[in-house]
Amino acid sequence: MVAEGDAHGVAEFASRLLLSGTRRLGAAKLADRLEGIGATLEFHNGEEVLGFSGRCTRDSLRETIRILVDCLSHPTFPQREIDRVRGELLNDLRIEADDTASRAARELARFVFPNDHPYGRDPKGGADRVRRIRRRDLVDFHESRVGAEGLILAVTGDVDRELVEEAIAGPLSRLESDAEGIPAIPPPPPHKPRRATIPMPHKSQADIAIGGPAVPRGHPDYYALNLASLLFGRIGLYGRLGRNLRDEQGLAYYAFTGLDARTAGGIWSISAGVNPANLEKAVQSIRAELDRLQTDPFHTDELRDGKDNQIGSLIVSLERNAEVAYELHRMEYYGLGMNFLERYADIVRELPEDRVREVAMKYFTANGSSMVVAGPVGRTRLSL
Amino acid sequence: MPTHVETLENGLKVVLRPIPDTKALSTWVVYRIGSRNEVPGMTGSTHWVEHMLFKGGGKLGKGDIDKLISRLGGKMNAFTDTDYTMYFETIPASAMDTALMIESERMRNAAFDPKEVEAERTVVISEREGAENQPEFLVDEELWGLAFHVHPYHWTPIGYKQDLAALDREPLYRHYLRYYAPNNASLILVGGFDPAVAMQHVREAFSPLKPEAPPDPLRLSEPEQRGERRSDLVRPGPADLLSIGWHIPSAAHDDTPALILLSTVLGGWRGLISFASGDWRPRSNRLYRALVESKLATDVGVRQEMKLDPSLLIASATAAKGVSLDRIEHAIDREVDKVRRTPPSRTEVERAKQQVRSWARYEQDGVTFQGMLLSAGEGIASWDFGDRLLAKVEKVRAERIRDVARTYLVDEHRSLVRFHAQEGTG
Repeated sequence: MVAEGDAHGVAEFASRLLLSGTRRLGAAKLADRLEGIGATLEFHNGEEVLGFSGRCTRDSLRETIRILVDCLSHPTFPQREIDRVRGELLNDLRIEADDTASRAARELARFVFPNDHPYGRDPKGGADRVRRIRRRDLVDFHESRVGAEGLILAVTGDVDRELVEEAIAGPLSRLESDAEGIPAIPPPPPHKPRRATIPMPHKSQADIAIGGPAVPRGHPDYYALNLASLLFGRIGLYGRLGRNLRDEQGLAYYAFTGLDARTAGGIWSISAGVNPANLEKAVQSIRAELDRLQTDPFHTDELRDGKDNQIGSLIVSLERNAEVAYELHRMEYYGLGMNFLERYADIVRELPEDRVREVAMKYFTANGSSMVVAGPVGRTRLSL
Repeated sequence: MPTHVETLENGLKVVLRPIPDTKALSTWVVYRIGSRNEVPGMTGSTHWVEHMLFKGGGKLGKGDIDKLISRLGGKMNAFTDTDYTMYFETIPASAMDTALMIESERMRNAAFDPKEVEAERTVVISEREGAENQPEFLVDEELWGLAFHVHPYHWTPIGYKQDLAALDREPLYRHYLRYYAPNNASLILVGGFDPAVAMQHVREAFSPLKPEAPPDPLRLSEPEQRGERRSDLVRPGPADLLSIGWHIPSAAHDDTPALILLSTVLGGWRGLISFASGDWRPRSNRLYRALVESKLATDVGVRQEMKLDPSLLIASATAAKGVSLDRIEHAIDREVDKVRRTPPSRTEVERAKQQVRSWARYEQDGVTFQGMLLSAGEGIASWDFGDRLLAKVEKVRAERIRDVARTYLVDEHRSLVRFHAQEGTG
């Protein structure tokens, strides 16, 4: 999305067309080939990268990579497929517009990353943009941006170095693009806390999204903030927030925090789904938990549990090939070093307790947060 | 893969699958109790009981399960299905005893504190209300209600809101005592352990638990459907939806392997447990070609619901803007008619088999998915249900796929729900 500049939506549109035909194979043949060898391949667009992920067996690896390289190098963007994807994107936009959680989260991101910053935009670009995108835009984007430069490949499973280099790395390194360097991501503009209510009277449940700016992945506060976010609303059945809203008051099936730290900035958020009759109570309870971080900061035993969780989760969160591949990619993308997993336990262990408390007080504040409520609610303003 | 199976004296079936090089362990307990064992007025009780089993009892205080697993960096959850309920923890293998202790306490000693039962009422209602926000849930609930008039598959595991509002502690607790017993459960361990050592720990944790009288078999069966059933939902929503369900036999039936290939030819294959496939969508199948490539629909899928009792094969589609549900229905009818008339080509059958084969391997990725697959197998038949099925799928011939299409994709035996989206999404 960063690379698309003002051409909003082009990256998403293009990513959905990469399986829609190449100079060698049409869309149907591509699908037949891939599924005929039992492989999967998907392309996805994010704020910072265009990604692909796939699954295959050792026997089908070479053919899967041949197809992948073909899709990346020589997509034909047939008009018929462009029209199909356009309809699909417009339908997806309608579906998201009818989804309380998506509406709340999308609006919160827009508030936290204002002025059309790539982190605050809908990758799809909105219905008007989707209708206006033409084949030329897609071809230009592909020619200028999809190449070997900046490409990171993570592969795990029944492979060895020789196979990776010969069958995968070689063909991918020959991808060409006109890009002159990887575009820099601008820092997000300052956040001014805002409130919004999105009435969706036909829904049973309301979704609350509260949040504010966090730090980039490389920021010195990152590890402390990640632990604070875990303790506030992720650990076990959603940490302090879950204990209050779900366990003690039965107000919500889910009430949890998220922390998304990217290259140039980040966002922390709270998400909760509640019955509209409990909305005010839920918001006030969230407020109380935010305030409690100032008056009753994380206790030593909470911090110990959190650190144990993060260290122990190294084993559990990397039990699948897909999880290992994702983590390897992340380590390389953010420059964490290939010894990151060996260092991680010490990084967590050595986090000073007060630093975790301080970052929680600094970032997780009611006054510094934006709030969006979407669902069967009137236009009455809720205060946080 | 080497798998050790043993049944304790109290009836608990233990399935151990050691994976020597892994440091993780996934512990699963599956109980043969699901929403099919509920009665009208008590719908959703099995799922509510599942929620209560995270709240301690016996050696475990409130919040202890959460704390014990969190400290290990583990993950845990539970799922209530129509046919079974399963619980799991994935943790470092060195902490096996923690998982065994949690599961043995959960099996017989859950507290069901009246205050906690009450607090959980609004949580399960909230879970249901969250689902109600999704038109697909409304369509699915309507479809099962339409297709089953007698059998408890009539309702979905979340239950009806009016039942959730009225149920109280006593029937929930009775439900728990009745069905949560070692002789109505299987324990599955997958990961880094020595089977002999693990078995010793399992015996210590579970042998003292007393069995219950075996649950009565379910006596309800769905009579043959006499004529197509239709329902039209007119509600605010983003897109028109269509869902068609045909009656199919139980998972253990000899026709299941051919039905798997029929489902794959029509809508692609995403594995026995859909968790492993994520958002991946198959494109090399007849309904995708007929509906999505032709721009009639933006999404299409086929689900073969493999259950203990006769169930449904469901085709669902999301209509493209401006395309009538009639057109989509006719397009599906045409494809169903084709597969009823002519066996799929050899290439098509081989492609379908290759997908099923590959997914059988992808679903082995990680101890959690393996545990889930073995547990789901135990829930409807046996832990090796998936492997046996795969062997049978290999032997299915194209003519057999046509034959099961003729037998089961019968218009008079189908139920059809159409969701007509009204404007006004806020």
